[in-house]
Amino acid sequence: MSLLELGEVTKSFGGIKAVTRVSFQVPQGSIFGLIGPNGAGKTTVFNLITGVYRPDSGAIRFDGGDLTTKKSAQIAAVGVARTFQNIRLFSQMSVVDNVLVACETTRRTGLGGALGRSGAFRDEEHRMHEKALELLDLFQLRPLASERSTSLSYGNQRRLEIARAMMLGPKLLLLDEPAAGMNYGEAEGLNKQIRWLREHFNLTVVLVEHNMQVVMNVCEEIHVLDYGQTIAHGSPDEIRKHPKVLAAYLGEGV
Amino acid sequence: MSARFRTLAWVLLTLVVLLGLDFGLQSLLPDSSIRQLLMLAAIYIMVAVSLNVINGMAGQFSIGHAGFVGIGAYTAAIIASHLHGSSSAIAGPGVQSFVHSWFLVPLSVGAGALVASLFGLLVGLPSLRLRGDYLAIVTLGFAEIFRLVIASAQIDATAGFARAIASLGGQNGYAGKDGQGVPLFAGPFWVFGAAIAMIVATWRIKFSGWGRALRALREDEIAAAAVGVDPTRYKVISFVLAAAGAGIAGGLWGTMRDGLGLVQPDQFTFQFSFDAITMVILGGSGSVTGSVLGALFVTFTVKFIELIQGVEIVKDLQRANPWLDLNALRMVIYAAVLIALMILRPEGVLGERELFGKRQKKAGDAGASGPSKPGAPSEAAA
Repeated sequence: MSLLELGEVTKSFGGIKAVTRVSFQVPQGSIFGLIGPNGAGKTTVFNLITGVYRPDSGAIRFDGGDLTTKKSAQIAAVGVARTFQNIRLFSQMSVVDNVLVACETTRRTGLGGALGRSGAFRDEEHRMHEKALELLDLFQLRPLASERSTSLSYGNQRRLEIARAMMLGPKLLLLDEPAAGMNYGEAEGLNKQIRWLREHFNLTVVLVEHNMQVVMNVCEEIHVLDYGQTIAHGSPDEIRKHPKVLAAYLGEGV
Repeated sequence: MSARFRTLAWVLLTLVVLLGLDFGLQSLLPDSSIRQLLMLAAIYIMVAVSLNVINGMAGQFSIGHAGFVGIGAYTAAIIASHLHGSSSAIAGPGVQSFVHSWFLVPLSVGAGALVASLFGLLVGLPSLRLRGDYLAIVTLGFAEIFRLVIASAQIDATAGFARAIASLGGQNGYAGKDGQGVPLFAGPFWVFGAAIAMIVATWRIKFSGWGRALRALREDEIAAAAVGVDPTRYKVISFVLAAAGAGIAGGLWGTMRDGLGLVQPDQFTFQFSFDAITMVILGGSGSVTGSVLGALFVTFTVKFIELIQGVEIVKDLQRANPWLDLNALRMVIYAAVLIALMILRPEGVLGERELFGKRQKKAGDAGASGPSKPGAPSEAAA
């Protein structure tokens, strides 16, 4: 059964066709790779799934619902979390507050509760705080909880971004180039981390990645884009040998 | 438990002090111009603190706050006049007047807040969906349209909308139903009480999930939306709240005791919106107590310069240097102070921090009672 399904999704910016009739299905519980050379439209696909852009045509279905016309915040609320290629943290806020921002979708007490400081509001704030600290603990960021998020190291910032995404309690996690800027050893660690994330949070993971060491190791299924179009789809072994993929990455005639 | 009790005690104490002021301020401060200045300071505080919600916390640049203050003032003045036909003469300290105020002030000022927030929704809904400077332009335009429509009304208009607008007195201002003055029932109890309530309310907004979401939106809208904070919803509601706050401030301004009993379009020029922005930025954008400081500064600086002219040293200086005309230099000094502040502290006096800093529990230490660490594999965090 597929959790996420793209059907003939197309998006152009002015005259440039960023994504053309892309279709794929992400099976529930899988780790799914979306790869392609620079400018292939991978991040655009993420932005279409998460509602940053709206497709010109085509449909995006998730967990039995339609995401095509939904806004980012609504999409987050139904269980799609993401990280960004260039880390996007709330830089002036503390580490724990960064995570806490993601609890608004599940909040029950409204503005009235906040103004009256009702018991329910206090309980909820306390509960959310505890939950955020647990998550930070899990990602080994707890000692840094009250630091400003920009003061964290690059690796910690990446982990904080994932922790923040997990605060949503998502079913699907979209990772945009999680291995960017990592060396061999760190990338190995990332592979384990992605698998651990899936087990621990019962997730389905889609990742955009350039690092083949990560993609080929961790992904069970891979979808390849080039110039906004699908050129291949299959298991890592199939993709490794696929002539079109080789051509796209290495040039024709190789 | 004890925290609840303490809160209750504080509320009671505040109410008692406010009641005392309502009845005693006149004998405490016989000079009505000083009483007026104090009440005006409280009203400016409300204006600044409410503007801070949208400009400071939500980071949306609204430059038409005067429009919402004006709408609140006119609405409250009209409602109060119609609910209470006679002139302002009987509104002063006294039990009868105070009892009356419980009927008049909530209704008229509440109506002012309601109408202002409706206009806030009308202005905010289209412009806050767009990014960037649209809100600034739309709010500026809105405030000026509001003012000019009222100011340029033809007194001799005979029918319909024009007649209704003309009944607001045009450039001369609205002086109650029969031109006898707006009933002035909002005593210190209401004016200072509302200012305190608004400070507490905005403080609570700031230190709640709502305030956190607004900060997140201000820093990175796309990331905030990606974790479930709907930008349009949060911005529009914040804008409506800010407009409602401005409406309350305006309503109290129009009907405050020791006021003029007259609501004029000239009170709500762009200059006033600009003063409000000055208060917020001066104190520190996003800081509630900063806005209060900014409002006090703007209210009292000009008055202060007037007052020091009575001091002997200043008088001597003036005799020695005839060019030292402080009255003429007032605005120059005011501007110089502003420029100096912006050079020395561009983020405002407090930045985003608060006076009486909210004791931040060190988040990392709060775990003593928390659950023990679940067995995550260490490589999970590699």
